[in-house]
Amino acid sequence: MALVLPALLCLTCGLVLVSLGWRRQSPRASDLLLCASLSFGCGVGIFSVIFFLARVSGITNVLALDLTLFALLLASLFLLQTRAKTNVTTALAREPFDGPIWLHRVLTATFVVALCADVYSTVLRTLAHPHGDGWDAFAIWNLHARFLFRGAAHWRDGFSLLIPWSHPDYPLLLPAAVAHFWTFLGYDAPAVPALIGLAFTLATVALLFSSLSILRGAVPAMLGGLTLLATPSFLALGTWQYADVPLSFFILATIVLLRLYDARHSPGFLALAGLAAGFAAWTKNEGVLFVAAVVLARTLLIRNRRVFSSESRLAVTHIVPLLAAILPVFLLVACFKYFVAPSGDLFSDPRTMLHKLLDPLRYGVILKWYAKEFLRFGHWLLLPAPLLMLAYYSFLTHPDVRSDADSGDRASILALSLTLAGYFAIYLITPYDLYWHLHFSLSRLFLQLWPSAIFLFFLAVPLGAAALARGR
Amino acid sequence: MPIATVIFILCCLLSTARVVIEAPNPARLHPDDIANRSDWRFAALKAALPKQGVIGYIGDSSSPADYYLAQYALAPLVVDHSPNHPLVIGNFLTPLPPQSLPSDQLQLLKDFGNGVLLFANRDAK
Repeated sequence: MALVLPALLCLTCGLVLVSLGWRRQSPRASDLLLCASLSFGCGVGIFSVIFFLARVSGITNVLALDLTLFALLLASLFLLQTRAKTNVTTALAREPFDGPIWLHRVLTATFVVALCADVYSTVLRTLAHPHGDGWDAFAIWNLHARFLFRGAAHWRDGFSLLIPWSHPDYPLLLPAAVAHFWTFLGYDAPAVPALIGLAFTLATVALLFSSLSILRGAVPAMLGGLTLLATPSFLALGTWQYADVPLSFFILATIVLLRLYDARHSPGFLALAGLAAGFAAWTKNEGVLFVAAVVLARTLLIRNRRVFSSESRLAVTHIVPLLAAILPVFLLVACFKYFVAPSGDLFSDPRTMLHKLLDPLRYGVILKWYAKEFLRFGHWLLLPAPLLMLAYYSFLTHPDVRSDADSGDRASILALSLTLAGYFAIYLITPYDLYWHLHFSLSRLFLQLWPSAIFLFFLAVPLGAAALARGR
Repeated sequence: MPIATVIFILCCLLSTARVVIEAPNPARLHPDDIANRSDWRFAALKAALPKQGVIGYIGDSSSPADYYLAQYALAPLVVDHSPNHPLVIGNFLTPLPPQSLPSDQLQLLKDFGNGVLLFANRDAK
């Protein structure tokens, strides 16, 4: 019960932040759901940033800081709404479902069954493992949260190299948000990281479902949501209290918001996408790689577009709001890395790294693991979802049926591919035993990108009348 | 399209079944022993230690998890897996006979029971 007030404050801060960049176009349930899931993620992100800044600056009254920021956000929203006279966004034409009504009913029933099954499973897993399932929860994430909460003026002790394998260079979105809630409660309740883990898992499903519903309609939304709900390892990972699912949420949020920007051309979406990308970098080191990949992919997209007359005007319109929103959180990550965290453990001396880069055997091993893990990272029963999706796509695609992927989607696909390539490069130079490193991390890296891959897949897959004609 | 979609849905349902099958049994739901091995185990010792700083650690477990659970319980103290500190905690899963101290330099200050001990290292600076 004591958690309700801080949770409401967190959600309201997130809602005001999201409302700064996006005013809903309709009271449709999918718009509300998208707004709610983004508000949750942004709320946790902003809670984390506030707590970290309070610790760095030695401010002990965190509530005063919360209320000040909330008032500032509210004032900005009020100013923005009084100035904005015209509606700059356009409604999206959703694809109507041309299939038989029984199919729609079967899909709806299956989606509801899968959702109930997943809620049942995640709640039971959380009750069985209230401190998280697996070492990383108590050896890394919740340990850092305890140092931030219990350490007071000595919170930096938690980032000591004397604690082996605690990865003191990992960013603090999750630990600082947990510590913020604990500060409200006055003690370090294990329910807080457990509930945050559970909420991020369900918010990722909600974000995927609602965004596909807005952009493509109910059927692709339910198919996409079902694909994620039917990924046993994603649901399990969500209850482990690791940062991989929160990272997958922010990666998906970035890609969804970029897609909404491409569709509606409202700069607010671009700013929110930048904020989500910044939060991805503040969640895990892999998020930094993702941000670099997104910026590169969007820059290449602008170079390839011939819509506007001047390239510099394009850069100002399409990149600057994105970078401007990424920058504050990115600076925070940089400050943490420079002033608090010791150097990371993945980079050894340049000669050793070069030697490893020139070893062809390592490329072969990593490629083999990528191929193997591609089929099993979801812990599916019988048929791996990536194969299923490829088969589904090839069945529905016909030379006459054009894929709905536009250049913005291709930029997002490129961003995910570049991120995967970045992971590959890290494995090449890893100072650890390559097999051990691949064994314990690759499936989680794939899961970080999985919700975004599902989103992009169901944006591209043709499910309209032409596809229906092909299937008849 | 309907056939392909139905096959797709059925395959997703199969994996959803795995989600349910692998969920803990609600009739025999017991929380894991992390709190027992961490917060509860070290509660008395924690009260006897300074509020912050670095302390040493020795233990008999082959599983590093026991060290991390001690560190988790004792945060914001930094627990260094080494006896080279003025105060050293002992974490022994099998009870240690009083005459068999793990090192000559270590002097037993207090036995908190259940294999949790506090030592002083006279040679540590």
